[in-house]
Order: sequence, then C-alpha cells, then structure tokens
Amino acid sequence: MTDKPEPLKPASPVRKTAARAAQAGVNVIWIVPIVALIVTLGIAWNSFRDRGSLIEIEFADATGITPGDTTLRFREITVGQVESVAFNDDLSKVIVSVRVDGDVAQYIDSDASFWIVRPQVSAQGVTRLDTVLSGAFIEGYWDADVQQTATEFTGLQRPPLVRGDQAGTWVKLSMPSADGMSEGAPVLFRGVEVGRVENIRLSEEDDSVLADAFIEAPHNARLTTASVFWDTSGFSLSLGAQGISFNVNSLSSVLQGGVAFDTIVSGGNPIEAGHEYPILADESSARSTLFATDDNDRLRVGMLIDDSLQGLEKGADVQFKGLRIGQVTGLAVNVATDDSDNAEVKQLVTMAISPRRMGLPDDATAEDALALLTNEVAESSLRARVASAGFLGTSLMVELVQIPGAEPATVDATAEPVPLIPSVEGDLDDFTASAQGLVNRIGNLPIEELLNSARDALDSVTALASNEDTRAIPTALRKAIEDGSVALSDISGITGDLREANSGETIARMLDEASSAFKAITDAAVDIPEMVDQIDVAAASVEEFGFAEVSVQVEGILADLRAMLGSDDAEALPRNLSNTLEAASGLLNDLRDGNAAGSLNNALDSASSAADEIARSVQQLPQLIQSLQTTAARADTLFASYGSRSAFNNELISALRELSRASASFGSVARLIERNPRAFILGR
Amino acid sequence: MSAPSEHSGPVMTAHRAGLTGCHSCGRVWPQDHTKCLRCGTHLSPPDRRSLQKVWAWLIAGLIMYIPANLFPMMSTQTFAGLAGNSESTILGGVVELMHHGSYDIAIIVFVASIIVPVGKFIAIAWLAIVAGRPATVDQAHTRLKIYEVVEFIGRWSMIDVFVVAILSALVQLGFMASVHPGPAAASFALSVAFTMLSAQSFDARLIWRGLPLRSRTG
Repeated sequence: MTDKPEPLKPASPVRKTAARAAQAGVNVIWIVPIVALIVTLGIAWNSFRDRGSLIEIEFADATGITPGDTTLRFREITVGQVESVAFNDDLSKVIVSVRVDGDVAQYIDSDASFWIVRPQVSAQGVTRLDTVLSGAFIEGYWDADVQQTATEFTGLQRPPLVRGDQAGTWVKLSMPSADGMSEGAPVLFRGVEVGRVENIRLSEEDDSVLADAFIEAPHNARLTTASVFWDTSGFSLSLGAQGISFNVNSLSSVLQGGVAFDTIVSGGNPIEAGHEYPILADESSARSTLFATDDNDRLRVGMLIDDSLQGLEKGADVQFKGLRIGQVTGLAVNVATDDSDNAEVKQLVTMAISPRRMGLPDDATAEDALALLTNEVAESSLRARVASAGFLGTSLMVELVQIPGAEPATVDATAEPVPLIPSVEGDLDDFTASAQGLVNRIGNLPIEELLNSARDALDSVTALASNEDTRAIPTALRKAIEDGSVALSDISGITGDLREANSGETIARMLDEASSAFKAITDAAVDIPEMVDQIDVAAASVEEFGFAEVSVQVEGILADLRAMLGSDDAEALPRNLSNTLEAASGLLNDLRDGNAAGSLNNALDSASSAADEIARSVQQLPQLIQSLQTTAARADTLFASYGSRSAFNNELISALRELSRASASFGSVARLIERNPRAFILGR
Repeated sequence: MSAPSEHSGPVMTAHRAGLTGCHSCGRVWPQDHTKCLRCGTHLSPPDRRSLQKVWAWLIAGLIMYIPANLFPMMSTQTFAGLAGNSESTILGGVVELMHHGSYDIAIIVFVASIIVPVGKFIAIAWLAIVAGRPATVDQAHTRLKIYEVVEFIGRWSMIDVFVVAILSALVQLGFMASVHPGPAAASFALSVAFTMLSAQSFDARLIWRGLPLRSRTG
C-alpha cells in the first residue's frame, strides 16, 4: 500500500518496509491479546481472592489426615482443605494447616472448635461409618458472630458431645466416685435421655469427683433447686428391709453408666447454669433425701421408749397409716425423772416430719403440723410406737397409730430438745414370740420318722398297685369271696369309719380303729389256710366223682369249661396267685408291724398335714384288703378246679372226638341221603 | 537442508517480477491490480506490517497458555466425592502417569500438550522475526518448510482437549465416578486456536522478500 508499485522494478529493500511498518498505526488485532490478558488476569485475581485464609489447628496426632485431600467441614459442608501437616517446635503436636474458603473464614473466631471425625465404635453404637470410605475429615464448629478472627487453634481430642449452639443448661454434678460412669453417659429423666455427662474430673477442693452434665432444652426447664440426681450405672442388687431389689437399667447405662434426675417435690426455684447437684447412690436414697431437702419447715418431734432399738436406724421411715411422712433423724439416750423422782433411762427417738406429707397445704409450717399432731393425740389417741419394717422384721421404723382405748396422753410441746409424742410399747414382741413358736413347732416335727413310715407304706402300695396281675383278677371270683367273708364286712365297716375320719381331732380314734382293723385282717388272713383246706376237700370230693356222673353232666360242664378256657385270665391265674399272695403277705407284715403304727401315731400327733396324707392312704386299705381276700379265694377255687383239670380234659377231648366222629358219620349219611334219597330207602 | 543444486540459480519471485500473488487462489497479477480478477480477493503486496496480526494472535495464545498449565485440566470425582476428588494440571497429570509407570502415555501427553505448543510458539515467533530478513535460497526454503509444519501440526494440537471432552462425556457414572473438564481445558483450546490463527495470518510471501537480488554464487 505504501509501496510505490513500479512494474518490473527490483524489490525495494525490506528494511525500508520494516521501518515504515514501525511508524504505521496500530492494528485493531491487538485488542485480542489485550482482552486475553485482561481475562486471564481477572481469573487469576478471582482464584487468588477465593483462595481463602489459612488457619492452623493443633492436634495430638494426624490420624487419617492427608494434605490436599482431607477437608474441613462445617455442618457437613466442605469449607476448606488441608494444605499441609507439620510438627510443632518440640514435636509434641501436629499442626494442620487448613485453607478455609473465603466466605466462611470471617466467622472462624477464637470460639471455633475443631476435631477430627473418624469412625467410632462405642457403647452408644457405631458412628460415622461413612468416613471409612471417604477418609477422616476435620469438622469445625463456630457461631455466626463475627468476632476477632484467629488463625491458630487447638483441636479437640474427640467430638464435643454438645455443640455450642444447642439450647440447654450446664449443671455440675458431684459424686464420691465415678465408678461405672464414663464420658458421654446419658442423663435420664424418667427413662428419657435428656442430656449427657461430660468432662469427668477430680475435684481440686475435696475428694469428690465432678462432672458436667448438659441438659437439653426444653427438658432443662424441669430442673429446679429441688431436683435430685442419682446414679443409674450398672445394675444394683440390694437386700434391705423391703426385701431383695434388683435393678437393671438400659444396656447402655450398664456399659457406660448414667445418671437420672427427677423433681419430685414442687416448689424448687429455677436454677442457674452451673448449679451443683450431688449424685446419690440410687433412686430410693434419692427419694428419701427429698425429706431433707424439700422444705426447711420440718416438724421435729421426739418419742421416749423403753424398747430395744436394735434395728432402728437413722433415716428409718416414720409412717402414718402406711404412708411415709418423715424419717428418724436421731437416736439418743435420755435420762428422765418420773413422778416419784426416780431417774429413768429411756431412748429418745427424734424424727423429722414433713407437714406437706401430712396433708397440710404447701405453705404449712412446723407449728401447724405440731398443732395437728396435738389434736390427733388428744382426740383419736394417736400414739407413736416402734414397729418392724419389712417381711423379715429385722429393721424397725416408727409408726404413728391410733390406738383406741389408750390411756389419755398429750403432746409434751415444752419438752427439750424437741416436743414429745406419747408412745406405746412397740408391737415387736408379739411378732417375735409368734415367729419363735412357729420355728419351734417346725423344728419339733418328727419329719424323719414320718417319712420312713410313709415310704414303707407307699412302697407296699406301689408294689401292689403296679402289679398287672392285681388288675387282671376276674371280678366274678372277687365277688364270690367278698360275699362269703365275714371278716371282710367287718373291715369294710371299719374302713367306712376311717374314711369319714378326716379331721385332725379324730385321728387318734381313727388310729385305734385302724389297729383293730389290722387285727381283723390278721384274723381273716389266719382263716385263709382253713378256706384253702376246705376247698382242697371240695376238690378231692370232685375228684372222687364217678365218671358216670360226669358224663351225665357233660353238657353243663362243657359250657363252663369253654368259658373258662376262652379267658386269658384263667391261664394267668396260677401266676396271679403266687404274686398276689407274696405282695399280700408283705403288706400285711408291714401293716402288722407295731413300730410303723406307733411311729405313725407319733407323727400324726404333731403333723396335721401328714395326717391327712396317711388318712388318705388308710382309706385305700379296705380295697386292698378286699383284693387280697378275693385273690386268695379265687386262688383256692382255682386250685380246686385245677386239681381235676387233667381228668376233665382227657374226658372232654375224647368225648369231643367221639362227638365229632359221630357227627361226621351223621353228616356223610345226610349227604348220601341228600344226593340219593332212594338209596336210603332201597339200601343203595 | 535442501540440496543446494536445486536452488542454485536466482529465484524469480512474483515481487521481483513486478507481480502480486493472490492470497487465496495464487494467481499473480500486475502490481497495479488491487483485486484478483479470478476469485475477487483483494490483492495486497507482501508487507511486514501484516506481521502485527501474527504477533497479536501469538501473544494472545501465549497468555491463554499460562492458565492452561496452572489450572486443573480435568477433575475426577469418585464415589460422589467420598473417595476423593482428583484434579490434575497438564504437567501434574504427566508426572502422575509417570509415577504409575505409564511412560508411553506420559510421553504422548507431554509431547502433545507441552512440546508441540511451545514449539509452535517458538517457530511462529522465529518466523515472524526473520520474515523479510535477507536470506539465502536454502534458508528461505527452510523457513517455508517450518511454516508448513506449523500449519500442519496446528490442526492436531487439540488432542488434549479432545481427550477431556470425550472423557467428560463418557465417564458420567453418577455415584461411581464422573469426570468434569477443568478451566484449563478451555484455556488450552483457546491457546491452540489463537496459535492457529497466528500461523494462518503469517504471510508466507514475506519469506521470499528477503532473497538477494542475484545469486551470490552466480
């Protein structure tokens, strides 16, 4: 353009052209690099500005922290990244440098707290399992107040149990020892977890252990100065006046302990943060101390008694109609002078009674309570006495009871140091005496002898009852002897009496009758050989029967024999007989034994319950004896029939054979006739 | 480089013949023509002032090459960020690949992303400096070849950008893993584009303007 174009003219030197180019105007194209530069610089500036500020956090160790990878999170949102990890000067700590995003960096002031989040397995469960995958991260917490910014922090050892912004109240708990309690233990209110125990430490002032507990809102409104805390750690087993009590709370509180609180008595004042509560051993002691703490206006009264105070302790209940209205606060010996100026040593029991518990309004004073008591003593003869508490009666309590017809008395309101309530003798003696009597009676029971006799009797009965043969005896034979035996009817009469005699008063008489019955049984047993003899004679006579007579009666005998042979019982009879006789003789021996009866007598004297048992077993006797008799009778009969059996058999069989042959011939004749009637007439 | 025998004689250039070559179709016209009658392109004689364009694009490309190396090229997110995010710059990626033992891939990336662009910058700058300077015929041929190489390579310089683009399109496995392009990818693409524009705006005729009027040998 600037060149002067001349045809075929040699090229002008380039230098000239370059020089002119330098003088020429700037081309528009230069805007491009300028824009590029501006954009790049802008991006660089932006990223530099967003880089945020660097803070340093001190940790004991840097488990799981990787520079460039581990993040800083606030409410689970990543707000920064670890840039580097270094040691401090004496290598005792690790300093983690974190680049925090610019928009949150301003909020990180000296109140901020940081901790490392890792997976945790504790008594409360497994938490933060996600960090197994993602790796540990640093969690920070700070509030929205922008105060003086800080860049150096000390990291917490473990996540704080309570975040700074949680509403609630911190209270201080003191306890004699932290047995079973651990950091993070729950604070329960009627079983609901309302807070946590933290920062368990030894007190610098005394021997106690202190802990901080955070009660979350809105449950913290339930805390008043009248609240009581008690330990729910582990489980408790106590054997006291109220019996055995075994308490287990949640598994969590077994593992890591816990405290519970309750506000049983109204009227406490709201507390300030940091209020100190003592932790009591258990719920019952916490509830009983309420008397000491619920109101200042307790009525302090006393009573003078002569009784032994063993078992009455400080803190024992004072009850009125079963309701606890106070507790014993002191036991002392008081020397008083009676009317005749004789010095008399008496026990002084002082008590603290809560007017509120007596049904008086909340603002009642001790004077009101005393007035009420005075009135009750005068009008409905209210008296104080020592009574036993609990089912064993080993510990005592004071009881205010109305004793109608008691000698008139009044409350000695002027007595020193405390007003005195008239007392009556405690009701311990009756109880102790009756208990002793009971124990003695139990000790005197001839239990061993009783058991021996009972065992013998039962053995015999069992042997009899379990014998199959006994049960298999045909009833027809039993009846035959039952009707025929005079002794048996005697026995059944006696046993009828015995059956009726089921009360303790008639036992002696019943036993007398029983022994006479035994005698009768013995007599009856003596008769048995005679009966056997008679039956033998009868059998002999049967044997002597002529065969002619037998064949005459063959039809009837055949029927009887068939019935007899058809019964299994008949076959079992011989065995039955011997077994039954053995058992019978054993039983009879036992029964006849004078010692058994004698010891039974003694036993029945003292043990009425055992007497019932014996009476019942005696009731079984008649049946047994009956069975015995029938068995014996049946045996005799059988002997008789058995003696002639072989002869009968032979005759019977031959008779039957004859009969069958005859009938066969008859049958063939009948068939012949049927086939050919003419043959019958014609002979062929 | 080339055999001197090929260019032993004085080279007749269009300029020397009083002609002006057309940019677009190559037809030469007498210098008084301002328009190519064949293709209608405006005819302009070779002028070193046109090198301004080359310099401007080159500088723009250089500027964009800086963030392309400082910012992450690609960010990989595995397990929705639980298992960590990895962001790598070009050089960081090369170093990482070498740590993993993939030397071949590392070399490819290094050549494509570092050596080639840097070589292009140097080549274009050198061409722009020496354009129009006196040169022998061989030197002129060398410059021309370098220019051609730069032009040829220009279209292959986007390999990195292609890789990032394809990966970000393919690796979107949701929770498992995802790949996103970083700010460096855009800068790198711009840088390559600017360099190509720079190379294109170089007037190759200037190479021949510096030839001696007559051959020194002849």
